[in-house]
Amino acid sequence: MIRKEAIRLISKEIVDDVIVSANGYISRDLFEVDDKPTNFYMIGSMGLASSIGLGLALQNPKKMIHVFDGDGNILMNLGSLTTISKLKPKNFIHIIFDNSSHESTGGQPTSTNKISIDAIAKAVNFKVFRCNSKNSLDEIFKKIKKMSCPIIILVKISKSEKISKRVSLPPKKIKSRFMKSLQS
Amino acid sequence: MKEINQRRIFDYLVKNKIENFIGVPDSTMKFFIDQGFKRKKVLIATREEEAIGIASGFALSKSNSLVFMQNAGFANSISTITSLVQLYEIPLIFLIGWRGYLKKDAPEHAKIGKIQPNLLKILDLKRKIITDKNWKTSCNWALKKLANHESCALIIRRVSL
Repeated sequence: MIRKEAIRLISKEIVDDVIVSANGYISRDLFEVDDKPTNFYMIGSMGLASSIGLGLALQNPKKMIHVFDGDGNILMNLGSLTTISKLKPKNFIHIIFDNSSHESTGGQPTSTNKISIDAIAKAVNFKVFRCNSKNSLDEIFKKIKKMSCPIIILVKISKSEKISKRVSLPPKKIKSRFMKSLQS
Repeated sequence: MKEINQRRIFDYLVKNKIENFIGVPDSTMKFFIDQGFKRKKVLIATREEEAIGIASGFALSKSNSLVFMQNAGFANSISTITSLVQLYEIPLIFLIGWRGYLKKDAPEHAKIGKIQPNLLKILDLKRKIITDKNWKTSCNWALKKLANHESCALIIRRVSL
């Protein structure tokens, strides 16, 4: 499964709940397949999607907060997993798209083909699911509906030749419509 | 800064609707942070950038936040300030320690202490030095900035070693 396809399928499951998407191709794919005000597209500050998501989850306990992260992104902010786990938000689902590379910058390798993010996440008390196919994605989303958070879903993806367009919204617009959507 | 005033600053900011205090500890402001622990309103992050990320999540939900850090942490945070806080215009109050303000401070603080004022200036992060004498007017200035949806920094000097 390529990332864009995975993002399309997961975004469809999420409907109008909040998504914080990491910078690079993750935000670009989400913008192209399912743009909506409840998406907060990061275009800089790599690594911080999980932290922004944590702040949102703590302040909006009635809303489900989803973070779309990458392997390179979460490796830059592994400490956030300990902070999230310590605070145990009940509305936090962290989806990590793992292609073992920094695809947005030319496909340079990350360490996730040698080390396991699942094991790291389990060690800090996340419930962890691993998804390798479209079918398992359906099953996982059915399962987690009855589970307590925080949850990590590690989605193994393959690299793709196709590149999505850049997020064309100005950052202030991304922010203002996102903030408005939170109030509803 | 005196212990009593550090505690007063914390209480004053809470009274004025600052709801979240997130950061990495600094001995320069240890009584401020301790007051936060007493009132169960402090969250210690693993890194300063993480703290800014969490605070931004709160700010996007219209909950006012302060991020505290050492000046070493401020140096770590520059990219996050430019590409998150300033890019999206997310209003936050920063409380930044100033080690290396005194020439006799420990060697690891000398360089960052020397360049800190210039770093703040070229970042165009509006700042005030908060002291025992001016703490209330400095807090009011920062609160006003936040009310105008602007970020700003309060700088707390290490005046005794």
